Amino acid sequence: MTQDPLLSVQNVTTQFVTEEGIVRAVDDLSFDVHRGETLGLVGESGAGKSVAIRSIMRLISSPGEIVSGTITYKGHVILDRSQGPDGEVRDGEAMLSEAEMRSKIRGREIALIFQDPMESLNPVFTIGSQLREFIEINRDLSNAEAKAEAIELLREVGIPEAESRYHEYPHQFSGGMRQRVLIAMALACKPDLIIADEPTTALDVTVEGQILDLIEQLKTEYETSFIWVTHDMGVVAEICDRVNVMYLGELIEQAPVDELFHETKHPYTEALLRSIPKPHETTGEFDPIRGIMPDGMNAPSGCRFHPRCPDAREVCMSVHPDLREIDDGQNAACLKYDVFDADYDDSPPLVVDENGERVPAETVESVGGDD
Amino acid sequence: MLIGIATITFLLVNAMPGDPVRIMLGPGTDQATIDAVQSRYGLDQPLYERYFNYMAGVAQGDLGNSIHYNGVPVTEKILERLPVTLLLVASSFTLAISMAVPLGAIAARRQNKATDHVSRIIALIGVSTPSFWIGLMLIIVFAYQLNVFPSSGLIMPWAHPSDVPQAANRIEVLGSSLYHLVLPTITLGTLQTAAIMRIQRSSMLEVLNRDYITLAQAYGVSSRTVLRKHALRNAQLPVVTIIGIQLTTALGGAVLTETVFSINGMGTLIITAVESQDYPLIMGVTLFFGVIFVVGVLITDLLYAYLDPRITYGGGDH
Ligand SMILES: Nc1ncnc2c1ncn2[C@@H]1O[C@H](COP(=O)(O)OP(=O)(O)OP(=O)(O)O)[C@@H](O)[C@H]1O
Ligand code: SF4
Ligand SMILES: [Mg+2]
Repeated sequence: MTQDPLLSVQNVTTQFVTEEGIVRAVDDLSFDVHRGETLGLVGESGAGKSVAIRSIMRLISSPGEIVSGTITYKGHVILDRSQGPDGEVRDGEAMLSEAEMRSKIRGREIALIFQDPMESLNPVFTIGSQLREFIEINRDLSNAEAKAEAIELLREVGIPEAESRYHEYPHQFSGGMRQRVLIAMALACKPDLIIADEPTTALDVTVEGQILDLIEQLKTEYETSFIWVTHDMGVVAEICDRVNVMYLGELIEQAPVDELFHETKHPYTEALLRSIPKPHETTGEFDPIRGIMPDGMNAPSGCRFHPRCPDAREVCMSVHPDLREIDDGQNAACLKYDVFDADYDDSPPLVVDENGERVPAETVESVGGDD
Repeated sequence: MLIGIATITFLLVNAMPGDPVRIMLGPGTDQATIDAVQSRYGLDQPLYERYFNYMAGVAQGDLGNSIHYNGVPVTEKILERLPVTLLLVASSFTLAISMAVPLGAIAARRQNKATDHVSRIIALIGVSTPSFWIGLMLIIVFAYQLNVFPSSGLIMPWAHPSDVPQAANRIEVLGSSLYHLVLPTITLGTLQTAAIMRIQRSSMLEVLNRDYITLAQAYGVSSRTVLRKHALRNAQLPVVTIIGIQLTTALGGAVLTETVFSINGMGTLIITAVESQDYPLIMGVTLFFGVIFVVGVLITDLLYAYLDPRITYGGGDH
């Protein structure tokens, strides 16, 4: 794509200061979203996906802070922040103020749909009043017009008897219906980018299918771009054009969806793909990724995936790979590729210790490596 | 519910050792007089008969006659004292709610900033300091040393000017009433302010982390509206419960506060009643506290239903 990207995220780092220490939930994240495309953002729970998208909207609140990075959207500078040597953050001149974020970006240009439809609606206000409030804030409509628009939107996302359901409270809606309401909210202000944070994980499979169909239909109708956060590779295959894979706050692979599935570059992505339960297999053959993901506080040295990586070698413990182009349009952060020039081929492989973690062979006594 | 309270009070009071008539008449009174007085108050009848008579009376709003106050009906005595206590409780609640709700909410907004720390320390001191001690300190400082507020008495805002010293008209009565209310209100209100503030803060903190708050922000709702409209109403649910519970503890606090400030309210009434073992009066006042408690619970429930659409009375979804 030669055209300027719709959204450009460059080197964004977001951290949380907790009692136990500082967690870099998002570390030096860079990616683009082009017009009309659906970008998948995948990774295990705790990878930093939600923090990443909240950072794009500048919705990180204490104890979290975006410490550096640049984000531009259609020429608006959403973020331009750098951290001086003293640790103090400085914002660039052109960066939008909080008020400008509210009046120009949030809702109007970029809309969010959250993970849990049960949690995303305010329990003490009616569906209609919540939807209407968002419409009134972002579009110059009168109260009555906003109400009519809200009912129309509810109808459009497939809520039957929209007129009477307008007056009902969230607890009177099923999960799928609430998710439709959230989609109606996202559509309300005709944004050019919708960021959906695992919008279907809380739903059962049939409802999920219906919601995905609805999204496909709206995509063709409005030509909206999407960032679709999920840890479901099946959903990725179904709706995404390109995919970003995240591990412990970092992007470790970027690829068009076909290449991601068929010419997988990063060992973590391979593990993720293997972990998809296939319908014709019994659950016994389900292959979860070995080991648990460490938390952001104790991120492993070198390549953060090395304790769990089947291809790990000693060099992976000390050298931290950045994201580099491996193939046309396909980037990965893995030392086994020649572009890294890291002596991977001559480095001794790591073996599995009694905790299931990969360590240098000499640290494991006697018969190393189980199964 | 109320029948239960009445029954328990009746049994407890009658299980108390001692004889109110002997206390009232003093030692050395001859048996004939004692018998006469006892039969006047029905104390010579067997327990079960007294119980049924009492319950029948309660049902008709008759709580019997006070022994200590020479046969004045208990209801009359209570109605005379009740407004004083209600005024005290109401003013301390007004103080508590008007301070605690905004302070708690602001503390939550500025979590871990200076405002938050200061308010948390104040709240901690507030809940852990006994109210009689606060009362005594206030009297020493503001009444005796600085001489700015009176140390005793309470004037009802609706009292007649001729009954109030140095008050020529209704406005001055009101002023004098407020003037007398200041120290007792602070004494009684501190604990409530602190307790409500703590709950307000933690409840607000919890709500501010909910997805629907982030969602509202993500759609460009201003942080002020998010706080006042989207968060506050949800955060008030646990606070309402605490306010309901505080109503009961406030009655206990009122007993102490009234004693410290020599105010003739329900608190001093029940102390007099217990000291003189005035059975009917003790039962009457206790029953009344019970009623207030039940009313408190009822108000809490109604408020809850108003704030939270998920709760409907009469069952079923509407
Ligand atoms: N409020 C917070 N306080 C402290 N740490 C936080 C906070 N929010 C997020 N984090 C840190 O950021 C990490 C990433 O969290 P995030 O919610 O972005 O994960 P995720 O990829 O969205 O996971 P999931 O699939 O479960 O939604 C967490 O593991 C945690 O360490
Ligand atoms: S760099 Fe090494 S440890 Fe990391 S993914 Fe590649 S092979 Fe595995
Ligand atoms: Mg998430």
